[in-house]
Amino acid sequence: MSDDYLWDGSGEPDPEIERLENRLARYRHDQAPPEFPERAKRREWLVRWRLIPSLAAAALALVVMGVWLGRRPSKEPGPPAKSAAWSVASLAGSPSVAGRKIRAAVRLAVGDRLETDAASSAIVNVSSVGQLEVEPNTELRLLETREGAHRIALDRGVIHAMIWAPPGEFLVSTPSALAVDLGCAYTLKVDDRGAGVIRVTFGWVGFKLGRRESFIPEGAVCATRPGVGPGTPHFEDSSKTFSQALERLDFGSGNHAANSTDLKTVLAEARPRDALTLWHLLTRVEGGERILVYRRLAAYVPPPAGVTEEGVLSGDPHMLDAWWDKLGYGEMSWWRRWERTWTEPANSAAGSSAPPLTLAPLTLPPVRASF
Amino acid sequence: MGCAFDLSLWQRSFVTGWPENATAEDAALVKAAQAGDRPAFEALYRRHARMVHGLLLARVAAADADDLVQEVFLQAWRRLDSLRDPAAFAGWVLTLARRRAVDHYRRGVQTAELPEEILSEDSPRAEAAAALAAIRALPEAYRETLILRLVEGMTGPEIAARTNLTPASVRVNLHRGMKLLREALGGSKARE
Repeated sequence: MSDDYLWDGSGEPDPEIERLENRLARYRHDQAPPEFPERAKRREWLVRWRLIPSLAAAALALVVMGVWLGRRPSKEPGPPAKSAAWSVASLAGSPSVAGRKIRAAVRLAVGDRLETDAASSAIVNVSSVGQLEVEPNTELRLLETREGAHRIALDRGVIHAMIWAPPGEFLVSTPSALAVDLGCAYTLKVDDRGAGVIRVTFGWVGFKLGRRESFIPEGAVCATRPGVGPGTPHFEDSSKTFSQALERLDFGSGNHAANSTDLKTVLAEARPRDALTLWHLLTRVEGGERILVYRRLAAYVPPPAGVTEEGVLSGDPHMLDAWWDKLGYGEMSWWRRWERTWTEPANSAAGSSAPPLTLAPLTLPPVRASF
Repeated sequence: MGCAFDLSLWQRSFVTGWPENATAEDAALVKAAQAGDRPAFEALYRRHARMVHGLLLARVAAADADDLVQEVFLQAWRRLDSLRDPAAFAGWVLTLARRRAVDHYRRGVQTAELPEEILSEDSPRAEAAAALAAIRALPEAYRETLILRLVEGMTGPEIAARTNLTPASVRVNLHRGMKLLREALGGSKARE
């Protein structure tokens, strides 16, 4: 029997499938919408003013498109209505793909470089799993795309990513760290020296160089430096004193006395919400300073059953993971599972000449839905 | 920082990979809802609630899935202003749903399913519970696709359009998933 009935309900009905449909229909969604509370309406004049640039841009796009379509040879195929490939469209100016200026949407192939200058920006369709907004003065390359694995290299500039792929499928390699999407929206900036900073607006992101890992949840920020890797994440609403001391700890001179002073400042300024930062510091300071961090963190988030002071001070990874889970930002087991599926190049601080990431061979997976 | 996404509809459909009219309709509804139009958001609910429910049902107890659908859309309604690209609503709300399912597990508030043994063995309800349990034991991709097809009543082409999977991938998932489901249900019957 063909599977036409299973596919679209056509053809000869399969009695077993029909029976399952009938039985399972009891679980089908049939709820009316809930009562959505009143929202504050935007002022009409504000809405109208906001629409003006949109309408102007749309009209301009239509004119440009009309001219382009009029000049296009009639045999040239139009863009696909639905595509699983990566594609790029200009938001402003003329970004270039593979060295050619673009004005209409084009495909982005593996190996292609997308560049925006000071007057251009672009939007990128990440296959069918998300979107990137590319700001001016940005360079990125598409390294790999296949179902379940998508990677770019951000060599410099700023991207805003919104990814709806299952966590762990979208990776951004920068000169100083690898960013792994764990179900989120974020902004990633890389400067001309290869230093970077990530700001997460939804979900969380893993940031990694070698064995140095940082996990950045919604509302937090994390810097990274070539040769060092990701710094210690902190929430954007933490005090300036706190964030500056943390930056010196991460990327300062390494002078022990200075570090000791900065750590005391961080501990003194830390709020319960800064347990995020304290957890990361557990593996970044040593000896008596680790004890101080442990006690501060334990005061805010008591370690869960089975997690001991002795174990944490000795760097027991299972205990550290269990404590992370208690912070409530996401399950560390997710990260560990996905971490096994990819590795970084030995020296990630290689800029545009960096070798591509090596993905470990995967067992034959089912085709994954891109929810 | 950041620019508004001011693309033409043609560009938009190419960039997002969604059918042009569905994307444009979503975008128009989102813009209206962002301005406070509740009926517009209710229309978005009706367009996307089945997908959200299917995703949740693949992950949480059936008794919890309906409540979580409502919670996801209430959260979406509250956070709608943070959606910068109105045409991306479908992917955005599914991301909210996935995270809501994870939070649900993390908080340990799953509702226990009614044990099969206290259901009358040959009742339709027991059969449905057994079938749903068997589907939920399958690998994730098969589980979601089969739930959308067998529970939510969507066709393969519709699932492909809504998940942005290729039709061939959906067909493979349905075929392989159904084969595993038949084996699982046959196996459980054989053990009885």
